Amino acid sequence: MKIMRSGITFGIIAGLLTFLFGGWSVAVIGSLMGVGLGMGLGSGLERKDPFKIAKDVAPTAVVAGAILTLLSLYQNGFVQDAIGKQPAQLNVMIFGNLIGFLGAVLFTTLLAGMHGLPEKQEQKWKMILLAVLVVAFPFIDKLTALRWTAQIIFALIFVILGLGLNIVVGYAGLLDLGYAAFFAIGAYTTGILSSPQHGLFMNFWLVIWIAAAMAAVWGFMLGAPTLPLRGDYLAIVTLGFGEIVPVLFKNLIDVTIKEPLTCWILPGIIRLFGGETTMACITLLSHEDLTAGEKGISPIGRPIIPIINYEFESSNPIPWYFLIIAIILVSVFIIRRLRDSRLGRAWMAIREDELAAAQMGIDPVKTKLAAFAMGATFSGFAGAFYAAYIAGIFPSVFDFSASIIILCVVILGGIGNINGVIVGGLVIMTADRLFLPALKDFLASLLTHTVLPSISDPVVQLAVKDNANPILYRFLLFGLTLVIMMAVRPEGLLPNAQVRAELHPEDNSVEAATPMAKNSSKG
Amino acid sequence: MLELKDVHTYYGNIHALKGISLTVNDGEIVTLIGSNGAGKSTTLRTIQGLNKPRSGSVVLNGVELHKLPAHEIAALGVAQSPEGRMIFPRMTVMENLEMGAYMRKDLTSFNDDLEHVFSLFPRLKERVTQKGGTLSGGEQQMLAMGRALMAKPKILLLDEPSMGLAPLLVELIFDTIKQLNKEGTTILLVEQNALMALSIAHRGYVLQTGEIILSDSAQNLKNDEMVQKSYLGVE
Repeated sequence: MKIMRSGITFGIIAGLLTFLFGGWSVAVIGSLMGVGLGMGLGSGLERKDPFKIAKDVAPTAVVAGAILTLLSLYQNGFVQDAIGKQPAQLNVMIFGNLIGFLGAVLFTTLLAGMHGLPEKQEQKWKMILLAVLVVAFPFIDKLTALRWTAQIIFALIFVILGLGLNIVVGYAGLLDLGYAAFFAIGAYTTGILSSPQHGLFMNFWLVIWIAAAMAAVWGFMLGAPTLPLRGDYLAIVTLGFGEIVPVLFKNLIDVTIKEPLTCWILPGIIRLFGGETTMACITLLSHEDLTAGEKGISPIGRPIIPIINYEFESSNPIPWYFLIIAIILVSVFIIRRLRDSRLGRAWMAIREDELAAAQMGIDPVKTKLAAFAMGATFSGFAGAFYAAYIAGIFPSVFDFSASIIILCVVILGGIGNINGVIVGGLVIMTADRLFLPALKDFLASLLTHTVLPSISDPVVQLAVKDNANPILYRFLLFGLTLVIMMAVRPEGLLPNAQVRAELHPEDNSVEAATPMAKNSSKG
Repeated sequence: MLELKDVHTYYGNIHALKGISLTVNDGEIVTLIGSNGAGKSTTLRTIQGLNKPRSGSVVLNGVELHKLPAHEIAALGVAQSPEGRMIFPRMTVMENLEMGAYMRKDLTSFNDDLEHVFSLFPRLKERVTQKGGTLSGGEQQMLAMGRALMAKPKILLLDEPSMGLAPLLVELIFDTIKQLNKEGTTILLVEQNALMALSIAHRGYVLQTGEIILSDSAQNLKNDEMVQKSYLGVE
């Protein structure tokens, strides 16, 4: 009965989503719903024969698929008309809904059934299925003309940012409220080094490393004086830093750098001994506009794949999509290794109890500094990709709200858990980039064709039209989501085992411990 | 091996240690006894580098500890089982023990040492996958001691190991301390339970408001009239 209820809920939510997107979206939404529902149902059942599980969940899958299809057909027939759009084409209507229904049923039973396999195999097959979906997604998106890939890429950028911040907040337990500053440093490094505004066209594949290194260096420089601080004090300092960096970039519009040795030191020494000097002063930069202030840097060079000489273009998001997926894979690999290393253990000890960690021989400042610099490195990667992808950077992008959104990604997904952060980034950013704009369009056309004509007062009409824009309320919605999450599920969507154990001691699941002697790298 | 000379430590304006001098020789159990606020824990914290002395010196085998940060002192082989235990609550028992061995360069005997800790505290072995924070008070005390032992310390500082424990557990803990000492670990023991402490220690110091007012062999202290009156409850 319980599984039937979640089936109905999933079906209704997915069906309502098709109202917003229309067209082929039902096919994609149906399949994704199937994956989600199947995983959810599977994990709630006990491990038994896969076919038996599949048989058990089959009725639920069919009901969920049917609800989705019915709502989608209703959308095709009536909603489309009500919001003043052309009714769906017949072939889209038939095949879209058919694929949506079949996708929902197939993926639900498949994924729930996988739970019947032994745990190792279940993991393996789920990974394979996930890989296939990730690879197939942009092509399906192109076929179905949904244009979601370009927005998903933004979500994936925030996944990397979330993964980086997770090192600082999740592993080392340092609250960083100015993380977007490192994102800005990565992006601006890329902008300055590869924009025709400065006549520099450095190769993207080189620049992305320079950007990451720059972010790491700044993470180190900022951390060094501030990290001896603890808790709240550190949060306030990072908050200040997050404010300073965008302002700094906004004002780097008239930069003169003189080489100190020839300009001040040598002449100074000569004058000290009463001599006169007309030594030529070497000026490295003279009244250079580095960032163009509010106007921002644009355009910015794009990556070019050598040998085949393919240049990434903004009209085709698919190569960008695979590039960011590759960056995420590398990041996840590195972060996993870090987490399980000696340094990772030290981070967790610091998070738990700094004094006790020092008594174990861990240098608190060095360890925190490493977390800060490593976290900054990943936002440097994200910044470089971001700058190249949108081919322009503006200081307003990196303000306080960006830091807070990244923090939300970590908290919503599950502090300290890599998979959780990935899910958090995808959920928050697809809501922000896909769902809200679609909802806005939907509401606008719905109002134009239903309520608005019947309002006689033009002032009221305008007010209704202007305020029925959910994008205006995005921060309200973020805030509400966070408040609800903290009240209902404070450990995040996919929590870290340790955090869950602390918040829900009653179901303290026991996991295997790994002796340090086996997996520690000496050093 | 450990020598404190005229150590003055302050908490802000509060003069907590007023010129403490004491020595701990190799292989000894030395105990610091005294009432609340006498400066016992502060002495241990000063040795550990958690509080810096304003003047005076702390020397371990010729190395001046008072000039080093806490983590470097730990690396020199000073391990503490702290008051209030300070275990890592969200790490498992096993992970806590592993943290104890964090500074050791040589991990070849890791598994033997682990077995040793488990043989001293069989309870920890039963709880090995449980989170530190979910252990009972006595188990946390065992974990704190076990973790300190995993560091293979030259000198073990024990701060109130009996605090808040059931009498049976106190006896177990003190038996363990005695056994550890027999195996060659030098121990500096801070204890309010003066009778227990003096019964296992070789020598003792009596602290009162930041000063050492008496030092002698444990046996003599036990028989000292003042000590009996003030700390052993003998009328």
